Amino acid sequence: MPDIQVLVNDFVSKLRKRKTEGSDATARLTAELLRSVISQQPTTSGGAALIEAVKSVGEQLIAANPVELAVGNIVRQVLHIIRKEDFSLVTNAVGGLKLSAEANDKEIFKEENEQNPSTAAVDGRCLLRPPLLHALHDQLPYPATACQSSALGGDSSEGKAEKSARSWKLKHDVIKAVNELIEDLNTCHEPIAEQAVELIHHNEVILTLGRSRFVLEFLKAAKEKKRSFHVFIAEGAPKYQGHVLAKELSAKGLKTTVITDSAVFAMISRVNMVVLGVHAVMANGGVIAPVGSNMVALAAKKHAVPLVVVAAVHELCSLFPQNPEVSLNEIGSPSELLSFGEFSDSMDYGIGSSSPLLNVVNPVFDYVPPELVSLFVTDAGAYNPSYIYQLIADYYSPDDLTPQKPAS
Amino acid sequence: MWWRSASFILDNSRNPVNDDVPPNSITISPPPLTDSTAAAAPLQNPNFNRNMSMSAYYQTRAAHHGVVTSDWLAQAQEAAAATGAVDGQDDGREGGGGTGGRAFGVIDEFNRWRKQPDLAEAVAAIRALAAVIGNSEANTMMELEIELKKASDSLKSWDTTSISLTAGCDLFMRYVTRTSALEYEDFNSAKSRLIERAEKFGEISCKARRIIAMLSQDFIFDGCTILVHGFSRVVLEVLKTAAQNKKLFRVFCTEGRPDRTGLRLSNELAKLDVPVKLLIDSAVAYTMEEVDMVFVGADGVVESGGIINMMGTYQIALVAHSMNKPVYVAAESYKFARLYPLDQKDMSPALRPIDFGVPIPSKVEVETSARDYTPPQYLTLLFTDLGVLTPSVVSDELIQLYL
Repeated sequence: MPDIQVLVNDFVSKLRKRKTEGSDATARLTAELLRSVISQQPTTSGGAALIEAVKSVGEQLIAANPVELAVGNIVRQVLHIIRKEDFSLVTNAVGGLKLSAEANDKEIFKEENEQNPSTAAVDGRCLLRPPLLHALHDQLPYPATACQSSALGGDSSEGKAEKSARSWKLKHDVIKAVNELIEDLNTCHEPIAEQAVELIHHNEVILTLGRSRFVLEFLKAAKEKKRSFHVFIAEGAPKYQGHVLAKELSAKGLKTTVITDSAVFAMISRVNMVVLGVHAVMANGGVIAPVGSNMVALAAKKHAVPLVVVAAVHELCSLFPQNPEVSLNEIGSPSELLSFGEFSDSMDYGIGSSSPLLNVVNPVFDYVPPELVSLFVTDAGAYNPSYIYQLIADYYSPDDLTPQKPAS
Repeated sequence: MWWRSASFILDNSRNPVNDDVPPNSITISPPPLTDSTAAAAPLQNPNFNRNMSMSAYYQTRAAHHGVVTSDWLAQAQEAAAATGAVDGQDDGREGGGGTGGRAFGVIDEFNRWRKQPDLAEAVAAIRALAAVIGNSEANTMMELEIELKKASDSLKSWDTTSISLTAGCDLFMRYVTRTSALEYEDFNSAKSRLIERAEKFGEISCKARRIIAMLSQDFIFDGCTILVHGFSRVVLEVLKTAAQNKKLFRVFCTEGRPDRTGLRLSNELAKLDVPVKLLIDSAVAYTMEEVDMVFVGADGVVESGGIINMMGTYQIALVAHSMNKPVYVAAESYKFARLYPLDQKDMSPALRPIDFGVPIPSKVEVETSARDYTPPQYLTLLFTDLGVLTPSVVSDELIQLYL
């Protein structure tokens, strides 16, 4: 598959050079790339081979830009899809023998591990994140299934044609599910926007920082439902995306006020709700958001203003933040802050001394701890920060959580 | 409140007898009681013993964690010698208790398992209950279930102060009986299925510590300072694994008065070449600014998501919270208990004699409770064998499990 490798290398270099940025764009590109990786796999390959292929590509992508967490999230979601489809196919196969109506996905998962010695290695890793307490109870392999699986192994020689048909179906189903995922990525703002009416009321004042597609859709949806409210936009230095948002919102007929980032605290007492778009949501409910968000969140906390984070599922990351201000941050170009011509003398390596006297630090992201977030509005519903774990359990399989970490 | 008054009695009757009574002999061979209620009970609950100001919970802890003294060893040997006799006695009692002359006592089985130094109390209980199924002569599922229930009740009443014992028994019962095995037509296959489940559960519980150690590795970074309180086998495992992974960190150990379990932990850590510093318990706030994270074990994790742990955990968590330091709890899932303490006095106290080094006048009351309750808002994360959980997840899980 040399053509695939070309595509992968192309995307990797784009990620590395930061030519594609933003969780939306990278998520969509990743999903599309993985779809072609899957479709390039030979039809006879089973689930394990697909997982391996996706994993190896995924590792390259993650290493290219570890801070772009959406890439890793999509890789994990695709892996989860493959596993799920694989299990459901096995269920159907076993189901014919067993007639077990009560068998749920998790049981099948375990059975699969039992049947297939090649996934025994996976089992070991799975131990690191076994299912939660109640799942643990429903999940034990039945002795009956053990017998059945050996029976299955026995007559497998007979059903070779059946097996290849199954792997073909697996691939077909996986590609279909990945297509659905891509479709969801394109439309994920809709279910988020739908919830706006319940959260925004008449004559309220909403504050936001910078620009995010979800915030825009969220506010637009409330406006379309005939809510009249006022939006304060902190301009979001140094990228000033807030100006763009202000233009878009005023074009929609919303009362909009632009304030500087430093005026947030002065205005917060008049604000009823803060809405923020984010870069990533961490497993503990904290968020990685554009720089300045932590300041807004603290101001909101001080005045007991609820802080609503709008985020899509592809921004949901299964990592726990370790020193996120440094490890999950990027330093932007100093030219965004100071133009080189004006300050070139002082930024130049000073005559005689080895280091410049004027330094510019331009971090791109902020970490907002979960205590400061009141609510997450996602395309899968609204959640409290402490319930993010549930979403993670829904969208990722435990096997994929541990191996890939951002290489620092 | 009964427990409260009992603790008063214990406090008031504190006398030099304490020094004479071997603190551990009761664990294995409880001396005959004169108290009529206790004597009437088929199985002796050490908590009823008025001569003792130390609860069974603490004896276990002392046996497992305490600094081993020479007299403790002597008593242990003595007690071990007496075990055989007691075994017979217990079997007789158990048989007389209506279980059909069966020469098997769940308590003995439990005690046998418990002697393994690395085996947690709850796991010992789980093993003992598994053995109950194995030795059962019941012919119907119902009979077996009742028998199991009886055994777990007697285990629980044997030491009501141990949270992990109760929690382990409850979870096991839930785990074993909440199954479609009960729908099997053939009794024998259902029984073997139960035994299999029981063994699997014991296995999972044994692996728990290892899993927790692996999960917590991401959280220990190079150059960090970790404050630990008292001795916990899970926390030791976590730190040991971190040391094996060549992480560079240093540990502050509290002394863990009155049983000085912190000393034991610092000994173990020194063996691993981890830089370790001992603190007196009251120096926690003083050193907190140097600390990056607090790591504690737990005796029990309760339904609110809070923990019950060795006395002093609460104040450490409060200090850490006020200084914005994360508090991590390492606890195996068999410690998840169906309790919801509303305040500190809302638990049955595990009592513990305290040696002040000088005679205390009898008019002076001494707080001898051995554990406290730390509410969930002061905990950052719990490392369990189910994964890294926030306190609210724990309460969610527990409620769902027992729904």
